[in-house]
Amino acid sequence: MVTNHPDTQIVPYLRGELSADERARVGAHLEGCAQCRESADASAAILSNLARVVDDVREPDWSEYRGELKRKLRARQASSANVRGRWRRLQEDLRLPVPIFSWPSMALGAAAVAVLALAIVMHRGAGTSQAPGVDQLELQRELSSADVGLLANYHVVEHLDLLENYDVIEHLDELGPGDRQNHESPS
Amino acid sequence: MEPSDEELCKRIAERDADAFELMVDRHQGRAYRLAASVLGNEADARDVSQDAFIRLYESAGRFDGRSRFSTWFYRILVNLCIDHQRKNRWWKRMVPLATPGGDDPDERAFDPPSSEAGPEDEAMVTQSIARLRPALAKLSPQQRAAVLLRTQEGFTSREIGEVLKCSEATARVHVHRGIAQLRKLMAND
Repeated sequence: MVTNHPDTQIVPYLRGELSADERARVGAHLEGCAQCRESADASAAILSNLARVVDDVREPDWSEYRGELKRKLRARQASSANVRGRWRRLQEDLRLPVPIFSWPSMALGAAAVAVLALAIVMHRGAGTSQAPGVDQLELQRELSSADVGLLANYHVVEHLDLLENYDVIEHLDELGPGDRQNHESPS
Repeated sequence: MEPSDEELCKRIAERDADAFELMVDRHQGRAYRLAASVLGNEADARDVSQDAFIRLYESAGRFDGRSRFSTWFYRILVNLCIDHQRKNRWWKRMVPLATPGGDDPDERAFDPPSSEAGPEDEAMVTQSIARLRPALAKLSPQQRAAVLLRTQEGFTSREIGEVLKCSEATARVHVHRGIAQLRKLMAND
C-alpha cells in the first residue's frame, strides 16, 4: 500500500518544474497510484480553468487608468515634498546658537542634574523624619475621597468612552440615581 | 530593441518619467488582472494596482536585481492586496467579477468552440469557470495569490515563495492546498 503521496509535488510535476530525480520518482508513483493520477488530472483541469477566470476579468479604460495613476503620483510627491519642507523648517527653528554637546553646556547640565538629585534626597529625608502636616493630611483625604467617588460610580465609568465623555466624568458627583441607571445600560 | 524591465527599473530610480510610463504600459494589464482575481473586486483592483505602481516609482532604487523584476514587483502588489483584504476583512465585498456576458453561466456570451473541444465540452468548461470564481474567493489570501501566480504568471514554486516571503516548500503547500480546496468546494457545490 502506498502511504506517502507526493501531494505538494503534483503541480510542480505537471509544470515540469521538478529535477530529473524528483520527476522520475513522482512519475513512478503516479503510474502505481490511481488516487494521485486522479488528483493530477483534476489539478490540471482546475489550473487550466483558472487561467480562463483570470482572462475573463473586465479591463478598465487604460488611458483613464494611467491618467488617474499620474494624478495620484503627483499628489503623493506634493505631499511628501510638503512633509520634507516642514521637517526642514522645524530643524531650522530648533537650531540653537550654542551647540548642545559642547563642554560648557554639558558641564552645566551635569551640575543641574546633581543639584536636582540632592534636592530630591534632602526632601525625602525630611519627609520620613516628620509626621505629615495638617495640610498634607487634608490633601490625602481629598484625593482618597475623589478615588472612592470614582469607584462608587464604577458602573457608570466602565461604559464611558474616556475621550468622548470627558464632561460626564468631570461631573460624576452630580449624577442622580436615575442618571446612573441610564448610563448602566448603554444602548 | 525594447529595454528590459530591469533596465527600465534602473531608469525609474533616476526619475525617468518615460521609463515609468513604459513600465506601467507593459505591466498594467497583468497587475490589474492579478489584483482583481486576488481581491475579487474591480474597483479595489484598480486602486491597489495603481498603489503598486506608485510604490514601484518610489522604491525602484531598492531593486537590487537579485531576483527577476516581475517577482519583485508582484511581491509589492500581492502584499498590497493581502494588506487591503486584512484592512477590509469585516466589510469585505467579495462581489463576483463582472464578465462580458454576466455571471450567470446561461447569460454568458457564447465563446466559439475550439478545435479541441465540442460545444458540450465548452459549455461544461464555461459552467466550471463560473463556479470557480466564488470558490476562489473562499481561499485564504496566500493560497489565492499562490494559485493565481502559478496560473497567471507561470511562476515557479521558488518565485511564488519569493513573492509571499516563504520557502519554496511552503509555496508548494499553498498551491497544493489552494487547488485541493477548490476541488472540494467545486465538488460540494
